[in-house]
Amino acid sequence: MEMDERYVRQDRLRYTKNTVSSRLAILAILFDVLFFVSIYKSDVGSWYYTILIGASILYNLVFMLLAFLSSEGVKRYKPGFSWLLIALGAIQVVRIFILPMSAHRAELELKGETVRVMGDAQFIRCVIYLCVSSAACIAAAVINLGKSRMLKAHLARLGSRQA
Amino acid sequence: MAELSLQHLDKIYDNKVQAVFDFNMDVRDGELIVLVGPSGCGKSTTLRMVAGLEDISAGTLLLDGKDITQAPAKDRDMAMVFQNYALYGHMTIYENMAFSLTLRKEDPNVIHKKVLAAAEILGLTSQLNKKPSQLSGGQRQRVAMGRSIVRNPKVFLFDEPLSNLDAKLRGATRREILLLHKRLKATMLYVTHDQTEALTLADRIVCMSMGHVQQIGTPLELYDSPVNMFVASFIGLPPMNFYHGMGFEDGVLKGNGMEVELTGEEKDILKDYYGKEIVLGVRPEDIHTGGTMPVKVISNENLGMNTLVHGTVGEAKHLTAKLKGWADYRNGDEVTMCFGRKHFFDRDTTCAIRKEGSVGNG
Repeated sequence: MEMDERYVRQDRLRYTKNTVSSRLAILAILFDVLFFVSIYKSDVGSWYYTILIGASILYNLVFMLLAFLSSEGVKRYKPGFSWLLIALGAIQVVRIFILPMSAHRAELELKGETVRVMGDAQFIRCVIYLCVSSAACIAAAVINLGKSRMLKAHLARLGSRQA
Repeated sequence: MAELSLQHLDKIYDNKVQAVFDFNMDVRDGELIVLVGPSGCGKSTTLRMVAGLEDISAGTLLLDGKDITQAPAKDRDMAMVFQNYALYGHMTIYENMAFSLTLRKEDPNVIHKKVLAAAEILGLTSQLNKKPSQLSGGQRQRVAMGRSIVRNPKVFLFDEPLSNLDAKLRGATRREILLLHKRLKATMLYVTHDQTEALTLADRIVCMSMGHVQQIGTPLELYDSPVNMFVASFIGLPPMNFYHGMGFEDGVLKGNGMEVELTGEEKDILKDYYGKEIVLGVRPEDIHTGGTMPVKVISNENLGMNTLVHGTVGEAKHLTAKLKGWADYRNGDEVTMCFGRKHFFDRDTTCAIRKEGSVGNG
């Protein structure tokens, strides 16, 4: 069987895994973990922020699970997992405006002193981690969508040729 | 082009045990050489020295005239297929076959084309997305061969590649290797202890024993004109019958209670051995029913096309005959048989006695 030069790249997808998307999804998890570790540094004396951090931790667990499943899904060019990754990426951006930003803006009275819940440096770090995590999710999704469509079209072409 | 020259190769291990003695051979381009011999005879050690997996203690190894004696294995442009396949279990067949090229950072498109081409040659195209554990032994061995093919090496080395397969699969895979050799026209070195593989695959066979080369020749040469008793007994199934203490007198061979008639040509071969003791060798397939020699049957093995008859002849000397067709002899039956083609060996040197009256150079 002589391989048509134009379709070698597409044909490779039949036998190789989408490791780029998969690794990007893992990278998203890694930066989410960094964010997760960073918010612990907040010295909070308020039930509101303690609950917010607790909820964030729980969401982190959900995020890590879904992102890991997606990394396995995109490895096999499943387009559905791209949409899940886009949703996860969007939520990571939204999260910037919940915990790090509200905590950064908030001030608390502790022992007669006014303190900020989250300092500038910590806030910037958290924003960077969430942005990178989001970007990795979306990049993984977009690459997978492109490749899965390319593979689908190639398989259809092979199918019609055999028919 | 890939010509290999093994010149006076020795292998001596650190514990002073010498595994290979003065191995000399020139392998021509596109030739399939089979190294055959019993376990521990040094054939695998020789192959591993060629591959670069064992240091060469003495001698020179040339590939296309270039000295590669001290070259590391990765620079020798040789691919080895092992008995135990050596596949990566966590990788798919495609990834296993592509692995060596990926390490060399070749263009993925080129790798893809090479892997597909090799898979097509070996009939593995539909298996490329499977893991090795999902394949049969024969298919796994084909994957191992495919991994070698994609590298397009100068020399292929096979270290008992069929030993892990059952008899039926071994036959099928053996034919595949033969077809592969015809298709690739590559230089191949093949190690086996199975003489059937050696006889069916080889352009030339190297028969080894205890680290020494006994004979190098075509399969027919080794079968028809063994240089010594070792080669005569090792090549051929069932092995050759030997009768020690035979004396050449009055135009016949006498001894062990037997009297064997000789042809004029055979008498001519033995003319220098008049009155001396020699060893008579007769292949089981050269023994026929009829004649005057009484054989007392011990057992009878029907193989379909042939029947192996085990019995005693003369002074209770063992005899195995391979008779054509189906025979139903019973223990104690007496049958008359005769010897066809005979081989003669010097009693002291065990070397073959040749037509000129000279002794083989085993």
